[in-house]
Amino acid sequence: MNYTELAAQLTELGERLSRQAHKLEGDALGKSARQLVASVARFEEKLESYIASRKSGELLLELLLRSPSSRKHLTVPLLKRGLKEVAGKRLKAEDLAAAKREFVELVHTAGKQDAATEFLTKAFAEAVHVESGSHEKASLQREFIQFGQLLDDEFAKVIGSRTIGELRRVADVNGIRFTDKTNKERLAALIRRYAQRAAVNIRAVND
Amino acid sequence: MSSKVLAFINFKGGVGKTATVVNIGATLVKLHAKRVLIVDLDPQSNASVWLMRPDRWREHVANGRRSTFQIFDDALRGKSRFDFGETVVKGVVTWTGFVDLPRLHLLPAAIELLKVEDRIHELRAPDIYEILDTVLADQFKEYDYVFLDCPPNLYSTTKTAIFSADSCIVPFLPDYLSLSGFQVLAEQIGEMREKFAPYLPARRKPNIGGVIISHYRQTGNVFRLAINELELSIAQLQERGFLSDKMTVFQPYIRHCVRVAESTSEHLPVILYAPGSIGAQDYADLAQRFLDNFEGKK
Repeated sequence: MNYTELAAQLTELGERLSRQAHKLEGDALGKSARQLVASVARFEEKLESYIASRKSGELLLELLLRSPSSRKHLTVPLLKRGLKEVAGKRLKAEDLAAAKREFVELVHTAGKQDAATEFLTKAFAEAVHVESGSHEKASLQREFIQFGQLLDDEFAKVIGSRTIGELRRVADVNGIRFTDKTNKERLAALIRRYAQRAAVNIRAVND
Repeated sequence: MSSKVLAFINFKGGVGKTATVVNIGATLVKLHAKRVLIVDLDPQSNASVWLMRPDRWREHVANGRRSTFQIFDDALRGKSRFDFGETVVKGVVTWTGFVDLPRLHLLPAAIELLKVEDRIHELRAPDIYEILDTVLADQFKEYDYVFLDCPPNLYSTTKTAIFSADSCIVPFLPDYLSLSGFQVLAEQIGEMREKFAPYLPARRKPNIGGVIISHYRQTGNVFRLAINELELSIAQLQERGFLSDKMTVFQPYIRHCVRVAESTSEHLPVILYAPGSIGAQDYADLAQRFLDNFEGKK
């Protein structure tokens, strides 16, 4: 059921009740009517609160604070910065859950829900922003493919002239994992192995 | 309203196509107040039964009448029985029995779509390609985003989607089988670009706008190497003119998340079913990247 259908049902019930009201009587109907009145009152309260929080921007702010983006990107320092920026106030809490509560309260008091929502939306968007691949990355990827196309002796010669730092950059950009203990010989072997694989796979795919 | 029509395609199955459509769509509605229409074109009807309870879906699409099948059946029979208002499903029903995400709309699919491919050759180009565009272009204008969930093939139904779309999005599983399929897809779309050109406005050319990596796991080298090979392949395809330089490999990669799988049985997008899960977090970040990419906030 959607809320339009509920509205139609309530309207229809209201009209029917109005037409029949002077004929209605009895305990069973009265008891049921009393329960309905209580339910309607509770629903009205929730509805009013929803409409008010939506109007003030509080709903959107709370939605943001409970969102998956918040779980991933929200920190106490971010809330502190946000509160200072939008309301010029200092956040005291150091625990995230408490800081969230304090943030909402102080933003509410200052009436800055819209500004706070805008601040968080922007902050979450910035947290997701990923720098596009640099020229260096593209160049190291091209080099990697070339490594895979070389004959063994050509590869040995090229690798011999490279420092371990250079090889680490090639490996890192091209998805090869290594540790600080991985020596040059081992790193060269890993690069050779996966560069040959990439050369075969890309050639097979693109020819 | 300026809408963005995106066809989600990959002729390899099981790459997370429907999961991407449903969850990015729901996230754009929930967190960014966008109006999103999902058009299910797959006879398997996975997007439809993800967002609708199966009993309700069966009743709604009985005989294919209130489903996307009717659009194609009309084209084949020269009729116009498809009624958008009767067919569109607004929002998803939660455990309360009430609708949530009222701005998320769905044109459900029906199994009858299987029959379409057998008969569609009765029509001639460009009539085939224009089927969706002719019937739905005006409706599309009412939405911020229209997601066309295509079947895992490149047959006629998918071609109608590519024809209607501003751009194609390719959900991708980081492995060699997906990589080999990706290049074929890029070439096929390149061919369609030439074939469709006489019938499309100059600004709209079939293209791959982005790749979305799904089922990603951070353990070991496996996925990083596979994604690197995808990037290497894309660079070569760009050099050969099959792909635009603007094509994006979207980040974050969607990590494998059991809560996403569970959410299908609850008939809810993961942002409603498990908003704290890593799946919901990844789709939230991805939706943000979608906005950055398609609304020029880069």
